[in-house]
Amino acid sequence: MTTRRPWYATALMYVALAGFLFFLGFPLLWLLSASFKSSGELNSLAVNLLPAEWDFSNYRSALERQNLLPAAGNSLLVSVATMVITVLLSMPMAYALARLKGRLRAAGTVWILTSQVFPSILIIIPLFLVLRSIQLNDTLFGLILVYVTFTLPFTLWMLQGYVAAIPTELEEAGEMDGASRMTILRTIILPLLAPGLVATAMFTFVSAWNEFFLALVLLQSPEFYTLPIALRSFLGAEGQMQLGPLAAGAILATIPSLIIFTLLQKKLTGGMLAGAVKG
Amino acid sequence: MKRIRGIGAVAFAGAVALALTGCQQGSASNGSDSEGDGAVTLQFQSLSDQPATQEAVKTIVDTWNAENEDVQVEIVQAGWDGTFDKLITQFAGGTAPDIIHYEASSIVSFASDGYLADLTDHIDADLKSDISEGVWDSVTQDGEIIAYPSTLQSYMVFANADLLEAAGVEVPSGETMTWEELQEIARATTTGGNYGLGWGLASPTAAMMSLSLGFDGGFFDGEGAEASIEVGDGELAVPELIHEMAYTDKSIEPTSLTQSGSDVLASFYGGKVAMTVQGSFQAANIAADAPEGFNWVALPPLEGSAGAIQAANPQTYSVNVDSEYVEESAEFLNFFMNGENLASIAYADALIPSSGSARTEVETLAADDPAWTQVLASGEGLEGPPFLKVEKYTEWKDTIATPAYQQYLADQITSEELSAQLSDGWTDIAG
Repeated sequence: MTTRRPWYATALMYVALAGFLFFLGFPLLWLLSASFKSSGELNSLAVNLLPAEWDFSNYRSALERQNLLPAAGNSLLVSVATMVITVLLSMPMAYALARLKGRLRAAGTVWILTSQVFPSILIIIPLFLVLRSIQLNDTLFGLILVYVTFTLPFTLWMLQGYVAAIPTELEEAGEMDGASRMTILRTIILPLLAPGLVATAMFTFVSAWNEFFLALVLLQSPEFYTLPIALRSFLGAEGQMQLGPLAAGAILATIPSLIIFTLLQKKLTGGMLAGAVKG
Repeated sequence: MKRIRGIGAVAFAGAVALALTGCQQGSASNGSDSEGDGAVTLQFQSLSDQPATQEAVKTIVDTWNAENEDVQVEIVQAGWDGTFDKLITQFAGGTAPDIIHYEASSIVSFASDGYLADLTDHIDADLKSDISEGVWDSVTQDGEIIAYPSTLQSYMVFANADLLEAAGVEVPSGETMTWEELQEIARATTTGGNYGLGWGLASPTAAMMSLSLGFDGGFFDGEGAEASIEVGDGELAVPELIHEMAYTDKSIEPTSLTQSGSDVLASFYGGKVAMTVQGSFQAANIAADAPEGFNWVALPPLEGSAGAIQAANPQTYSVNVDSEYVEESAEFLNFFMNGENLASIAYADALIPSSGSARTEVETLAADDPAWTQVLASGEGLEGPPFLKVEKYTEWKDTIATPAYQQYLADQITSEELSAQLSDGWTDIAG
């Protein structure tokens, strides 16, 4: 027998949820508001969530002045490619890492953890020289390779946790039914691993989408600039900042990310439910 | 199964993306490029960030390209943020552009590492004599001129004329203004919840190093890695004055000390502070952003015991020593720096041009703008500071000086402790 939750408890939960959502969403709301404010209003002491006068010129100048659209295209290309390659590579590697026993696994784990301790500033010059020697500096392909290299250890570590959580009994049951190793992987492991793959994909996409320093150093031709580099162009010498166009640019920059998240989140939920039923 | 097809579709999209990126190859050249018709293409990395300045630079380059078919210049637009790391990697990797826009204090280490060409014999004689020795000194390293100095900024006091008048203060109109006058005005205009002065000193070192020259506070002796430091009365005069105004007079808005210069402008526009110290370039932003009817003026240059002297840390144009076309690059820069061109850039950026002829041009361009009179006047006292000759200055500034000044301005340490931190920190860094 279950007791019915009192109405005020439900109301309180909704109030708390609304407060939490507002807390999370407020910076975005403020950014949105700033993107429609005039330069004068942004430089005043007035604290208005809604602009006194709606000014759309920030979006125009953001799009016109810093080539935001081509930069967004470059970012999308780099982020999607990084995401796909990383997920494809880390899937079998994570499975092996989670299921294999012995020294190789231990060595792999140490390698993953060790690779996370080097800051990019430390290896940027050797990396630049290596890319140059294979003529991949100042190319988006070179940047993708670097991003994959940097994100792979962490995604591998992340995904092997998901693999480890899948009971080996399920695989044994598949074997008992005469399924081959590939069939087991395709029909049992992969569906259960879907939430992990989606989470890994989201992490990889966001990492590549937001990355600034490597792109700044490795890309020299303005036509290859990614979005963070284009957005940083609104910051000048001596801390000068073109706040309105920067806010407008930042809002535009969040749109592709939101779309990708919306698409992937459905898969994440679906995968979790599938795992729950089968597990 | 449906899910697997979805993953397959994403993988296909990735493969297409990869194929597309594989087709895109950037320039992996050494910054210079000889075209099939014999024309030379020079890469010019510009950091100009204001739209008007970018337009001015483009106009100059277009004019050059139209008049010089055999030497074409290609603008590579970059931003200030992260430029040092980017350039150092490019230099190490041998892919730096031919012409490099930056600032005097930041190119010292590039010059020390031998990455910048000696331009001494390439500079146009008229241009050479049109720029003061002090400014040339700021771009001279070991007897070699490593850059063309272009535009400079000074620290200026902007005031709300109405608040000064309301406090019964006459707007200073002399050629210079002493720090004592600044203190008096700040005290007189501090009323109720309003303060006389707002000064964005979140990153205080540049302002301290520059304004201390007005008190003979040079900090460093010697050049390169051998330079020694001395933090005496002259070096401590400016921070002590600010500290006194903040904690004894209470005429400086305390939160402003933790803000950037631009952040303080809102308080200035809102009438919360009567005066603000800003880089001269803010004259253009104030003119554009101040509320309608806001009655503001630029006050005369600040004068210390040694005069109205500030550090000249000009924006610079250098040539990559590995460029195959050092001579052509210098020829372009001689054209780029002529009075008319430099004036158009300086005016767009609200900065002080380094050459006399450009200053005359700016005076004409800004004839209707009284703030420019003070901006240009403040340029008269700009001198090449000792820190520009010091190889590890940037390291000392970021790791020692900035945190030490911040602690002092937050009233957490005494001026003796500040002095000790600055001196001992240099000893540690210089070894």
